[in-house]
Amino acid sequence: MASRTGVSGGNGSGGRAGSAGTMRRAAVPEKTKKKRRFFAVANGFDMPFLIILMIILAVGLISQFSASYAYSFYWNDGDSFFFIKKQLAFAVLGVVAMLVVSTVDYHILHHFAIPIMFVSYVLLAVVLFLPDSSGIHRWIRLPGLQFQPSEVAKFGMILLFAHLISLNHRKMNTLTRGFLPFIAILGVTCGLVFLEPHLSGTILLLGIGMIMMYIGGTRVLYLLLTMGGGVAAVIYMVFIKGYEQDRINVWLHPFEAYQTNRDEAWQTIQSLYAIGSGGFMGQGLGKSRQKHLFLPEPQNDFIFSVICEEMGFVGAVLVIVLFGLLIWRGFTIGMKSPDKFGSMLAIGLTTQVGVQVLLNIAVVTNTIPNTGISLPFFSYGGTSLVMLLTQMGVVLSVSRNVSDEKT
Amino acid sequence: MAKAGKKEITTKAPTRQMWRRSVVVLVILIGFCFTAITGRLAVLQIAQGDEWQQKAVSQQLSDSIISPKRGSIYDTNMTPLAQSATVWTVIMSPKDIPDDATRQKIADELSVMLNVDHDKLLEKTQKVSSQYEVVKSKIELALRDTLSDWIQNNKLTGVFRVIEDYKRYYPNATMLSPVLGFTGTDNYGLYGLEAYYEETLAGKPGRIVTAKNGWGDDMPTALKFEKTVDAEDGNSLVLTIDSVVQRYAEKYLANAVKEVGATNRGAAIVMDVNTGAVLAMATEGGFDLNDPMTIANPDTAAAIAQLAGDEQADALKAARQAQWVNKPISDFYEPGSVFKVFTASMALEEGVVDESTTFNCGGFLMRGGARMNCHKTSGHGLQTFPKCISNSCNPAFIQIGERVGAEAFFKYFTGFGFTEKTGIDMLSESKVTDILYHDANELGESQLAASSFGQTFKVTPIQMITAMCAAANGGKLMQPYVVKQVIDSDGNVVKNVEPVVKRQVISSDTSSRMAKILADAVNGGGSKNAYVAGYRVAGKTGTSDKTDQKVAEGVKKDVVASFSGFAPADDPQVAILVLLDEPHAPVNFGGTISAPVAQKVLADALPYLGIEPVYTEEELANMNRTTPDVKDKEVSAAQNMITNSSLNYTVVGTGSTVLRQVPEAGSSIPKNGTVVLYTEESGAEKKAVVPDFNGKTLSQANQAAAAANINLQISGVMSGADNVGTQGEAKGGSQNIAAGTEVEPGTVVEVKFIYEDNIA
Repeated sequence: MASRTGVSGGNGSGGRAGSAGTMRRAAVPEKTKKKRRFFAVANGFDMPFLIILMIILAVGLISQFSASYAYSFYWNDGDSFFFIKKQLAFAVLGVVAMLVVSTVDYHILHHFAIPIMFVSYVLLAVVLFLPDSSGIHRWIRLPGLQFQPSEVAKFGMILLFAHLISLNHRKMNTLTRGFLPFIAILGVTCGLVFLEPHLSGTILLLGIGMIMMYIGGTRVLYLLLTMGGGVAAVIYMVFIKGYEQDRINVWLHPFEAYQTNRDEAWQTIQSLYAIGSGGFMGQGLGKSRQKHLFLPEPQNDFIFSVICEEMGFVGAVLVIVLFGLLIWRGFTIGMKSPDKFGSMLAIGLTTQVGVQVLLNIAVVTNTIPNTGISLPFFSYGGTSLVMLLTQMGVVLSVSRNVSDEKT
Repeated sequence: MAKAGKKEITTKAPTRQMWRRSVVVLVILIGFCFTAITGRLAVLQIAQGDEWQQKAVSQQLSDSIISPKRGSIYDTNMTPLAQSATVWTVIMSPKDIPDDATRQKIADELSVMLNVDHDKLLEKTQKVSSQYEVVKSKIELALRDTLSDWIQNNKLTGVFRVIEDYKRYYPNATMLSPVLGFTGTDNYGLYGLEAYYEETLAGKPGRIVTAKNGWGDDMPTALKFEKTVDAEDGNSLVLTIDSVVQRYAEKYLANAVKEVGATNRGAAIVMDVNTGAVLAMATEGGFDLNDPMTIANPDTAAAIAQLAGDEQADALKAARQAQWVNKPISDFYEPGSVFKVFTASMALEEGVVDESTTFNCGGFLMRGGARMNCHKTSGHGLQTFPKCISNSCNPAFIQIGERVGAEAFFKYFTGFGFTEKTGIDMLSESKVTDILYHDANELGESQLAASSFGQTFKVTPIQMITAMCAAANGGKLMQPYVVKQVIDSDGNVVKNVEPVVKRQVISSDTSSRMAKILADAVNGGGSKNAYVAGYRVAGKTGTSDKTDQKVAEGVKKDVVASFSGFAPADDPQVAILVLLDEPHAPVNFGGTISAPVAQKVLADALPYLGIEPVYTEEELANMNRTTPDVKDKEVSAAQNMITNSSLNYTVVGTGSTVLRQVPEAGSSIPKNGTVVLYTEESGAEKKAVVPDFNGKTLSQANQAAAAANINLQISGVMSGADNVGTQGEAKGGSQNIAAGTEVEPGTVVEVKFIYEDNIA
């Protein structure tokens, strides 16, 4: 449990310089302990993870600048820098928070697992009674700070699941200890988020929760039954009760749906125009036309469409590969963690990023119905970015405790 | 991987199961899901990329068409006949109108300013999904400026666009109207040359492509994108038509149609004999090209106004079609005796007759069981071949046609182009189908007989004059044309049209023999009303019954009176055809009513066209004299000068010097005319009363003029009185100063003489 410094400990700069060039090489021979030692530097946190993350953040900020440039121009009296300035400030703040958190021993989080979940529930309940914006209770707005309680709940749930799995590991294959408590927490959390209503948040929570339960050791049978029930419920709601028909129609026939459901279909159509017109090589950085008031909020949920348009298939795949590497590296940190708490934390937090990226890209490419979900590290939103980076700090903290010795 | 040992189950490190399940999740998430969305991107961006991009571009770019400037149409001397001028079209984007109040305001104010229907405009403003509604097309400069100010003041620059367009103007309004044709509001040629040469005139439209944002506005300056593809202006046409000749033809034709009451109007064509170039093509009763939909004939318009509903609409449509008809190329008629030129030509060419061959006319011939009359019922008796033409003797031509024979007759009939389109570069040339003529097999005894003098088949005027040119120009059948040159918008020549010889129909020897015979027909023969002093005009008149006209019993069928000929006979340059359809004058023969039209047109056109007159001695002797300037001269000197000019004089007063003369110096008066010399300031002026010359013979007219102390100017016939009488007497017709008018002695009165003997 004690942290171990790597072989090259103390030589931060040397490690950083080497890692950028050899990162890719590190991806393949990961399982060889000797190689990995080379990257475990400085304070001992996982350098590849940090570097991939920083690259993603940099690409994200550049994309944010390009995507918000036109939107900001039109909505902020010609100030094209309005969004990027704020986002940049929060990114700096987030990176600082991340580095600070990474030096903190994550084990103290055991003590916060239940309180944070409790606070999350309070916030989720409170938000339902706050004034809505177009029928949706999603945000809590305080002076100088606005955030979504569902974001807090997401972290709270990951933390609580990691806490419970590590404590109850031996009984994870039982119904009473390994399934029901989890499904109850998941149910209540999802239920509250669903009431906001916040469908994408709900789906995200379900995805993260189920994956953590699966890795944590819950019996597959229970999970399959739960999923079966969920699928049945969705089929019942959509096909029998006819809920969400508009959304489905827009998904399946965006152009026909545009005649009756203009706003929803507009988003999807414009996103497809943007992605499609990027072609293989893209229009060039900054040259998106769709961001000029065609794409609704191009700096937010549809930022990936702008990337596709400007950087083409090549750029889009690069972004996907970067996220793939981050997830792989996050899981690796989880695997190598000396204890199950750290392991589940790293895996849970990484899964969160992975599922969100997947859903976002699936939505903007109209692969699944439009649910409105942001792209981590790319989409505009200061609080969200700071929270995400802080959580990545937790993953880094876990990585500092990774054992690089076989026995 | 093997890290979790057997007893490690109790340690806090992840278990093998966790490891395994993590790998499963990684495989599903990255290996499957991420790969799937990458695949989806490949489909959207690579496979369907172009398709999506096209759709995206169509909303991102606003594409406006720039109208090309339509080419002009010029006459042969580059006088503009049709031109395009810049106008503007107002486009509205209802999608960008901010609110209903603005919609109302637009409808209220613009409907007044642009003179458009208020409710229709309001309706257009409410089409919120539309970005393109035409409010008004073709507004002119002043109105455009007013509108632009209004748009600026109301801050509606995002809603309206004012696009440059062109409007067609025809400076001469009615002149040449059925030939030129007109364009629709979209500048597309609908009729006439405008339609036939649409591709040449139209040019290629250009485009302005501008990038727009999602609100439909122009992009901010820094991000502006605009690309212009210039419009390619249309090419211009230079016609063979000469406005001056055209005006002569239209004027005299219109006068004649009015005079003789030709109910089915009239047509005239003037053509260059050697090239087939059309110098003038007139249809009586043209319409205003600037307003082609309006019925030009006031009587017809009034009649239509009386009708209502469908009946009115149908009548209007029919009247429009009728007024647009280009009669010279569209209408069929039976050529009548004019066709004898071709029967005679083929007989000469085949060698079955010569100038000395004689034919007998007993006033009629029986052919195919039918009695075929000569217009001279007493018969012409024995006459030479040229006289047959001059007399326009039908029985003689029946015999000439029989000598040629059906087969050869049809060979030349086809050769002269009477069975095919002439191929003139104009829309709506009618095609003669074989129902309208007899082919070789159908030319039985009576058909051949009637065809020989131009009845029982139909031709178009353009076919007739083209064939006449072939008879005159040495036997070459030309393809008539009206466009001689195509030039681009900078005046560079794009194309020169060369005359096309379709074929040799008769030998040049036959042609020149025919020219002489036809010239004789004009100089004292049946076509003498076409005589023009100084020019040897050759030609033939024709009067044909409308044999297929349905009339009540006892009512005479209408006729077509025509003349076709060429001049000068010894070196043919200009051919002319005049046709009066359904005339209702007391005498309706081609020689009486159509030949004078041709005479007048030629008399004006030939000198204008630079064809030098060659006067015969006789003509020279009878030519008008110019009065010398004798003012302020001694009376005796003045008398000498006048006598030397072959003129007479009358002295008024007792003064020694001439103070005033009538007619003035430089006036043209007939030989032996009288000049009145005034020698006293206050001498009570004697008055002369203009006599009525109507119906008087030349000599009677001369006597009356001398008695009344006025000068007589004769037109229409050879003025030498000696010549009169060979073929009946010409009679006085219209005069330019009405009978009974008091004038100064010596005033010149112009009288037109006409031969009224019944020669068809």
